[in-house]
Amino acid sequence: MSAINSNLESFRNWKHANLAIAVVLIGALAIFPLFKPPLDGFIDDCVLALAYVVMALGLNIVVGFAGLLDLGFVAFYAFGSYAAGWFASDFFSSINGEKGIHIGAGTFASTLPGIHLNFLLVLVAAVIITSIAGMIIGLPTLRLRGDYIAIVTLAFGEIIGRFAVNGQIGGFKYTNGRQAISPVDALDLPLLKEFDSAFSIRGYYWVALTMVAFSLFVNFRLRDSRLGRAWIAIREDEVAAVSMGIPLVKTKLMAYAAGAAFGGLSGAFLGTYFNSVNANQFQFAFSIFILSMVILGGLGSIWGTVLGAITLSFINSYFIPDVFNGIPGSLGLDFDLTQLSFGIFGFLLVMVMILRPEGLLPEKRRRLELKEGIGADEAIVEVRA
Amino acid sequence: MSTSGSIDPGAPEVAELATEVEGALLSAENVSKIFGGLVAVNDVTVAIPRKKIVSIIGPNGAGKTTFFNMLTGLYKPSRGKIVLDGADITGHRPDKIMAGGVARTFQNIRLFSTMTAVENVMVGQHARMRAGLIGSILRPPRVGREERGTREKARDMLGFVGLETKTFDELAINLSYGDQRRVEIARALASEPRLLLLDEPTAGMNPQESEVLTTFMKRLRDELDLSILLIEHDMKVVMGVSEHITVLDHGEKIAEGDPATVRANPRVIEAYLGKQG
Amino acid sequence: MNVATLPPQEEIRTTPVSERLRKFFSAYGLWIVLLGLPVFYGIKDLQDEGDLSRLGNNLFAGLSNGAIWALIALGYTLVYGIIELINFAHGDVFMIGSFVAVGMWGTVGLALTTGTLGLIAGLLVTLIVAMVVCGTMNVMIERVAYRPLRSAPKLAPLITAVGFSFILQNVGIVWLGSSQKGVPDLIKAQHVLVSVAGIDIHNSDVLALAVTAPLVFLLTTFVNHSRSGKAMRATAQDPEAARLMGINVDTTISLTFLLGGLLAGAAGLVYALYQTNVWYFQGFTAGLIAFTAAVMGGIGNLKGAVIGGLIIGCIQQISDNRIGAQWTPAVVFAYLVLIMVFRPQGLVGEETREAG
Ligand SMILES: Nc1ncnc2c1ncn2[C@@H]1O[C@H](COP(=O)(O)OP(=O)(O)O)[C@@H](O)[C@H]1O
Ligand SMILES: [Mg+2]
Repeated sequence: MSAINSNLESFRNWKHANLAIAVVLIGALAIFPLFKPPLDGFIDDCVLALAYVVMALGLNIVVGFAGLLDLGFVAFYAFGSYAAGWFASDFFSSINGEKGIHIGAGTFASTLPGIHLNFLLVLVAAVIITSIAGMIIGLPTLRLRGDYIAIVTLAFGEIIGRFAVNGQIGGFKYTNGRQAISPVDALDLPLLKEFDSAFSIRGYYWVALTMVAFSLFVNFRLRDSRLGRAWIAIREDEVAAVSMGIPLVKTKLMAYAAGAAFGGLSGAFLGTYFNSVNANQFQFAFSIFILSMVILGGLGSIWGTVLGAITLSFINSYFIPDVFNGIPGSLGLDFDLTQLSFGIFGFLLVMVMILRPEGLLPEKRRRLELKEGIGADEAIVEVRA
Repeated sequence: MSTSGSIDPGAPEVAELATEVEGALLSAENVSKIFGGLVAVNDVTVAIPRKKIVSIIGPNGAGKTTFFNMLTGLYKPSRGKIVLDGADITGHRPDKIMAGGVARTFQNIRLFSTMTAVENVMVGQHARMRAGLIGSILRPPRVGREERGTREKARDMLGFVGLETKTFDELAINLSYGDQRRVEIARALASEPRLLLLDEPTAGMNPQESEVLTTFMKRLRDELDLSILLIEHDMKVVMGVSEHITVLDHGEKIAEGDPATVRANPRVIEAYLGKQG
Repeated sequence: MNVATLPPQEEIRTTPVSERLRKFFSAYGLWIVLLGLPVFYGIKDLQDEGDLSRLGNNLFAGLSNGAIWALIALGYTLVYGIIELINFAHGDVFMIGSFVAVGMWGTVGLALTTGTLGLIAGLLVTLIVAMVVCGTMNVMIERVAYRPLRSAPKLAPLITAVGFSFILQNVGIVWLGSSQKGVPDLIKAQHVLVSVAGIDIHNSDVLALAVTAPLVFLLTTFVNHSRSGKAMRATAQDPEAARLMGINVDTTISLTFLLGGLLAGAAGLVYALYQTNVWYFQGFTAGLIAFTAAVMGGIGNLKGAVIGGLIIGCIQQISDNRIGAQWTPAVVFAYLVLIMVFRPQGLVGEETREAG
């Protein structure tokens, strides 16, 4: 028994434990769709879950690592999706004399008007746009205290959602609002040729899985770096951090940019996967959906965030609509449980915060902070002392 | 007591000071800090020569910590000028000042309590490291070397300040009080400062520990060629290490000079007696 | 987690240039921005139409609409003043207030045919019920979701507040469905009672002001002059010291939530009569608008919350009428961001401890 324990212990301390977990997990996940029908509903749920993992890992950098409560993460989902909508559809159909601009686009897309970039270029564009947007939104929050940061980011998220819905200013049309930009070009990547048809979503699944692997890699690397330490330092004590030579503005902006980039990455992927970009998607509730994932899993904990994202994603896309939706009816109540998913997430937030604020798979530092209130709210007193 | 105006203009200290400012590592010239209506620091001039230990003493609330906070850039002086090695750094950002070679500890220890001792000291080296966002992600050999070097240096520093090896990887919050003070000093030293500011480092220490710290400060000056500015209440420590002492009371400089001069100054005695009642 | 931990706002600086810019904006910017809209459209009206009655109508409608925001904003400001929490669920408590009010009309038998006296009596009953329900609910939310987290990092109760906001919205969905629901126009809201100098005064305007003014008066009197009010202010200043002086801090905090809830309930009734429709999502928007008002007025400041509410009401009306209702939320949120960034202490906010 103790042998097992000490084995476990040494495994935890093993430098490459995370790598090992990741490789085994991702390897197993990679082959499983082959055992399912190519358009299986479960694979569909998995694709969504993976995309949300990427989002949540991004938000975890901002909220979990750097401690900046961002309630407007949906903004980056929007920008990412619109990157796909703008650069991989016929939205700008009059461009280039209605002949369109095509860079590495698929064979079919190459015949259409509008801008059509290769999926990978769309991802790059999304990352660039969202990291810049992240910094711009971050800038005004830099001097604010935590709860004000939350409200300002929320307001930005709402403003951007509003712009998305309205769709045009004067004569300039930049989204289709609630009409959706559609169709967005399907995935068309060299190695996934045989899967890019309408008859299989396995290609999307593998792309999403690759993105998760990439995000995990980046998250771990950042956490254990000069920058990661600086984020934690700022989160714990800004005054001490800046006195130790950490530039607050730059370090916080990097957190915003890095986090936003993942939102954009995932957003561009989802735009492509859904085949359309509709302004209805970009609501405050989405920010809370992603935040709930991070909090449920454990603020600052990478594996926790993954777990939280997968759990909530499946609750949202599988358990609520497919499994539990019969319950209200059988209780003689007349409503659709899917309408209540956000009430359920709200309830979850309250419960987690009260009963287990450190989350399912807590990160050791955060457990200390959340359980014992370490490092919170003392700075003013101390600087004066 | 009323302490308007500084000590007699003709006093010898002032002349002495003027010559010192020339080659000083850091000098604060006529700095004041006003909070709302409260004048926390009033027209104070202090010069810190190279490789010397200089102290600021004064009763609680005299404005010593506020003065520190201005030197390190946390507060912007309401008036006056701060010059580091010939360059005007008044109003510069704290992280810039730290990068320029001024490191500090805090009166109420401010370690990152959920980081280990080693990680705390690694944070202290932030300004001496180069890895950026992309570098941290891709971790090319240069960054890997830098990271390892930083960690090694952190351990060396912790050894240097006398922390036991087995506590290196303890979370800061779990360290003993004395060890926390040590880690804070190590964290400051790790940034390779030219000037070290210590805010009441012996607070909460027993006489033996204070003794050790006194020797240690001298070692820092002699072996690392550091200048040290010390805020301290323990007169034994102050008189033992300082080459120059400045006395603040109610935000004003009421006396300065070498330990013997200051000890004999009636206003200093009054300030301390007045405070202790 | 590091919130509210900066030394005095003025102290930690980013760069000198942005600092100077910020100082300028913080001193004058908000006023410039606030006056910008009405002055711009005033001049435009004078040029185009030769008089200011359109702007006057905008502003008056803004005031009465703003009266509702003021009632809600007071709830934010009271709570923030005492425990420094953005009570995110507050807007949704207000929404529940509307729902309760609408439900009560049916219960007490109010309909379009009810006579004036009956209407007034019925609405008074409704008002009291809505207020009591919301007050109680607010107190219970505090007990369940905030009190256990009082020693936790500040962001923890903010997160539970967001959680509760969603829970209440879903209560709203279960109750009345997820689309806007028209309710009987009991007071003939759009009926023009009188017209003064080209400004139309509707029944709804009179109602909003007639409910708000006495409530605000009662609240300020209570907070400023009653024993409990003094306890509230003492707790707001320094909870620890208040506790030492024998004030029951928990009770005082509950009382604060009660007061905020009462006002939200009243706002709920007024809103239902004024807008003649209700829906589960009204609380989210109203909550953010009212929070903007509270911050604009200087959070923690009762007078400020009222002024902020009225100003936001006017901005909204002008925006609805001139820029387009579809942009109004963006306009309001833009104001929110500007205020937060350039003048977090608000318009009438005294220099707070942190701004010192
Ligand atoms: N941020 C601040 N805001 C307002 N007053 C302050 C602030 N910091 C310090 N003070 C006041 O300035 C005076 C000097 O304090 P301080 O520098 O901490 O004294 P010392 O370190 O000598 O004990 C005290 O009266 C203190 O209350
Ligand atoms: Mg002090």
